[in-house]
Amino acid sequence: MKSNNRHPSSFRDPSGYIFNDEGTIKRRISPNYFKQYKALKNQNIYSKLFDLGLLIEHDELSESDSEIIILPKQIPFVTYPYEWCFNQYKEAALLTLKLQKFCLERNFLLKDASAFNVTFYNGKAVFIDTLSFDFYQENEPWRAYKQFVSHFLGPLVLAHYHGAQSLKLLSNFIDGIPTKMLASMLPFKAKFSPFLYSNIHLLAKFEDNHNEDYTGKTKAVVLTKKAQLNIINSLYDYIKRLSLKEYSEWGDYYNKTNYTDDAFLQKSKTINNWVDKIKAKQLIDVGGNDGTFVRQMDNKPELALICDIDNNAVDLNYKYVKLNGESNITPFVLDILNPSSSIGFNNKERDSFLIRIKQFAPDVTLALALIHHMSLSGNIPFKMSAEFFASFSKYLIIEFPEPNDSWVERLLSSKGEFKGHFDFYNIENFENEFMCFFNILEKKKITSTNRILYLLQKKG
Amino acid sequence: MELIHFLYFDPGLGAMIVQAIVAAIAGFLLFTKNLVYKIKLFFGLVKHDEDELFDDIDVKDSIVETKEKSEIK
Repeated sequence: MKSNNRHPSSFRDPSGYIFNDEGTIKRRISPNYFKQYKALKNQNIYSKLFDLGLLIEHDELSESDSEIIILPKQIPFVTYPYEWCFNQYKEAALLTLKLQKFCLERNFLLKDASAFNVTFYNGKAVFIDTLSFDFYQENEPWRAYKQFVSHFLGPLVLAHYHGAQSLKLLSNFIDGIPTKMLASMLPFKAKFSPFLYSNIHLLAKFEDNHNEDYTGKTKAVVLTKKAQLNIINSLYDYIKRLSLKEYSEWGDYYNKTNYTDDAFLQKSKTINNWVDKIKAKQLIDVGGNDGTFVRQMDNKPELALICDIDNNAVDLNYKYVKLNGESNITPFVLDILNPSSSIGFNNKERDSFLIRIKQFAPDVTLALALIHHMSLSGNIPFKMSAEFFASFSKYLIIEFPEPNDSWVERLLSSKGEFKGHFDFYNIENFENEFMCFFNILEKKKITSTNRILYLLQKKG
Repeated sequence: MELIHFLYFDPGLGAMIVQAIVAAIAGFLLFTKNLVYKIKLFFGLVKHDEDELFDDIDVKDSIVETKEKSEIK
């Protein structure tokens, strides 16, 4: 085992780092964190948090004077804050506050409040940074307060006022939205909310006034634990009640489909049979809306990633996951025409969607009612779509809506005089270009629709 | 106590100072919210939303206590 193979994202905190040991993620703890680690372990803080499902579980592998190595439970696919729907983002924020309160009551604290400390696993948010805990020092303010505002409160409040697209801001601001910018983006009326005024406008003002005279000594500032708990409780209350103003564009998609219940059943049965046939255990449904077709499967997949461009569809999917207690579905927001890129130092701190999905290596990819959007809205040639899917999936179940499908017609008619440019959109071209990368195993027309389902296998 | 763990990012001096004001306002908001809740409770106006996705900030004590008891045994 080589514990010096440090993961490129794990360099900020001197308490230790995670490393990749032949494909397994492990965590090395440095001697300067031994005291904290042992206290958390001996006072059963870790074990309580495991039982509560708030912190990712780990086993201790080895202990020496120079390092302690722990093995955290492996998460097959990590989603990032800019891929969460509104309610996922809320859950991650509430989890962070819940942990801070839990810690404070036991004389510990969270030393940081980065949104990247949280991901979704087993159908819920879980804290993944085992070394984020430290001792509470009497009357010290919450050091991670500003970080919490710029990572969590800021994006959520912006989403409330300006729509869910605001949640993607962290892909640009990996250290959180700057407080001054955040304050400037809020509508004027937000200043009349004592909560928003104090947590955002006043914070930005104070930060602005004091950014020059920082001396490294913040110890002089005093805040009682009771006062800190007031901040935590009021943040929790506010975020819990926060909602989106926009209503769903796709939320009731399945009431808007252009085919009948029979066709729906036939489609879902065919998908079901094919997934069984290739014995797929892990899958990704690209453009999977609220996850309807995955939920129709007789043999539940071990893990299904379901992504969609529309926040509301993902939100709906996520609500089903919560209400049904489904641990095998990870919903997330993704624009297939612009999937998340690699960001941070060296462009290696947060992996792109493609790097992560290749590592995850799904047994099958579902792309239902998607190709006409890629080809006609995104202008992506079939060959490039095929190459994209072939880069991470062995099998592909893809639905092709024919040119006379009413939705395709609608997309085409919106092109006006440019319509002729899309003559390439037909079944021959689709098959020919996809066959550069895939073999056709099965092909089935869904009766009384203009849609064809394909089961494809990657060549080679 | 060494502060090395704390200082790997800048907490912001302004952000540390402002917390006293934020906490005072938060305290007032929580106080009024509780008061309104109690008045509503008195008049029987409290509705419980069963579809709520998120629970309260306090972890369920029963889980922690059960765990603590089993550890004592």
